[in-house]
Amino acid sequence: MLYKKGNILKIIAIALIFFILGILIGYYAILQQTTYVSFKKVGEIKIGVMLPLSGELGPIGSRMLKGALLAAKIINDTGGINGNYIKIIAEDTLALPEKAIEAAKKLIEIEGVKVIIGPATSTEVLAISKYVNDREVVLISMSATAEKISELGDDYVFRVVASDVMQTQAIASIIEEMKYKKIVTFVVANDYGIGLEEGLKKLLGGKIALSIRYDPAKGDYRTELMQVSSINPDAIFYALWVESGIIVFKQALDMGLENIPTLGSEGMADVAFFKDEKAAEYILKTGLTGSKPSSPKGTLGYNIFYEEYKKYFKEEPGLYCEYTYDATMLAALSIAKASAYNGYEIKKALESTSKYYIGATGHKAFDKNGDIILAEYDIWKVSKSIDGEYFFNIIGSWNTVQGLLMKKE
Amino acid sequence: MDLASINFLQIFFNGLITGSIYFLAALGLSLTYSLLNFPNISHAEFLAFGAYAAYMSLKLIENNFFLSIIIAFISTGFLGIFSYLIVFKPLSKKGSKPMHLTIASLGYGLFLRYSMYQFFGREALTYKLWFEAFNIGPIRVTSLWILIILTSLILVFLLHLFLKKTLIGKAMRALSNNQILAMVCGIDKEKILLLVWFIGAGLAGIGGVFRAGDTRITPILGWDLMIPIFSIIILGGIKNLYAIIASAYIIGLIENFSIILLTIFNLSTEYKVIIAFIILIIILILKPYGLFTKAGNKSD
Repeated sequence: MLYKKGNILKIIAIALIFFILGILIGYYAILQQTTYVSFKKVGEIKIGVMLPLSGELGPIGSRMLKGALLAAKIINDTGGINGNYIKIIAEDTLALPEKAIEAAKKLIEIEGVKVIIGPATSTEVLAISKYVNDREVVLISMSATAEKISELGDDYVFRVVASDVMQTQAIASIIEEMKYKKIVTFVVANDYGIGLEEGLKKLLGGKIALSIRYDPAKGDYRTELMQVSSINPDAIFYALWVESGIIVFKQALDMGLENIPTLGSEGMADVAFFKDEKAAEYILKTGLTGSKPSSPKGTLGYNIFYEEYKKYFKEEPGLYCEYTYDATMLAALSIAKASAYNGYEIKKALESTSKYYIGATGHKAFDKNGDIILAEYDIWKVSKSIDGEYFFNIIGSWNTVQGLLMKKE
Repeated sequence: MDLASINFLQIFFNGLITGSIYFLAALGLSLTYSLLNFPNISHAEFLAFGAYAAYMSLKLIENNFFLSIIIAFISTGFLGIFSYLIVFKPLSKKGSKPMHLTIASLGYGLFLRYSMYQFFGREALTYKLWFEAFNIGPIRVTSLWILIILTSLILVFLLHLFLKKTLIGKAMRALSNNQILAMVCGIDKEKILLLVWFIGAGLAGIGGVFRAGDTRITPILGWDLMIPIFSIIILGGIKNLYAIIASAYIIGLIENFSIILLTIFNLSTEYKVIIAFIILIIILILKPYGLFTKAGNKSD
């Protein structure tokens, strides 16, 4: 008899087993779906971009964004990734760490991005690195140079620009070359500025006669600059942010510092500083000379970037535009290689893709800290052309292998 | 660094510039504070508004700095009246407490700030003006810095005459001392209040133009000054014009001298606020009602 008591129990037991199995399989399928979204279904792939689009570094950041937009456009025009189009979602961080955390939360929690290009400054990267690590979101900064970021170790944080350990060596060798004996450092009081100041102190020791760490929100720097002039150094090394930097330069001219030669970090190689007449005059009079991560001009990678950029935006690319472009390209290539929109897979893919990626800014192979292995800097000096345009004249180069190479006049 | 090489006269002069801008910014706030009994946080945005008003005047009307200062004064003055009429008057009529008004002013300030962002864009602007720099003895000056200090001194003098010699000025002082008594004596409180908002906001407008000329124009220009402004008001007590002047210059000088101290210890100049506050706390422990108020005559 089918309806014996024992049979019913057996049927119930079997049904229960199937029921539980069904739930497990269903759950597993859902799990699969949320973490491994198949590309054919998504239609668009989001890449988050965090940049200072306003505030202190707004003038630079808003132009850097164009680098990311250009990379997305090039990929989308050639069919995207498996027919999925890249969508850039840009968030303004104002270069403030607290805003960066807000922006990262918005990108990750609401937009659901797995790759973020940026943030631009070291302070911001340090502020959000734990947050992105915990959520397995890949971060590729285009311009955060502080040494501290390397100490974060093997994680989801990458950068396509070399650490300031390298840049301080480049600047120290300029100082040696120029035979300056007494230097004043004038840096913005954050991870970036202080990192550079301490790096230079390590290399130059007693040559640094005075170090000033300025508050970018303060707005007047007369007394700081007066201290510089009372030391009467051979040169001043500046690592400034843009908006406060313009004020520093403007007031430096007012305070009569135009006879002391000036040196600058890579952040100062931007046309934004010429916006104010007095700042521009000071920069030109003191022959501001500095280093910046080089983009090897004349290479195929750079030419493609440059021509497309000019065609699309009808202007010269600004500081770090090509780095933002390379970071975005690397992100897109890694997503394509990972063939899944999943942070862990993208990170794995990025580590291997980068070894074979030579972009607008050169070879981007990462070491185990997520730093690029090859560092090369252009040495520039501000000049004014006959028709009154300010520009950054490349007067030499520095790289990890050959050191400082000055162009012959 | 070698202390002997420090140019103390220059630091003193720098302190005067800083103090003059602080004074212009703080005075208006203390005027409305003393009559309406709440700190108007949106005062910070009045400074920025003045800076933008001057920018527009330089651009649209004439490239004349004096004219632009006057335009900034008048237009920011009217913004003050407008703000009072549409925000603070209706609220206080409905019986809002000082706390409510303070929060409302904070929100109103944010509204003004982001309206300016929307209208003028996020990038900081600068006046297209050239202020000549030169030496007077051991002191380095520019025409703008001298203008800032002179204008503040002239305004101090004019305000002194206005408050002491004119009937309206006397009425203002009466209202700020004892509102009920003043109204019993037939003083029209509403008219005086409108005038106070006009003058207070107008002065902030001038302060904003100077700060912008010295630095750059941005909607957060005034916000950056709020901490020193409040310390000046606490130090001076809200009801005393002369105390506000004195404490503005005291804070300005302390800030500039503390920079020397901070760089000797290789600390960021961000900490100058801490030094200013330590001094503020010490003064308040010694003189709890402000530096210039007698204990029996305390302000609220």
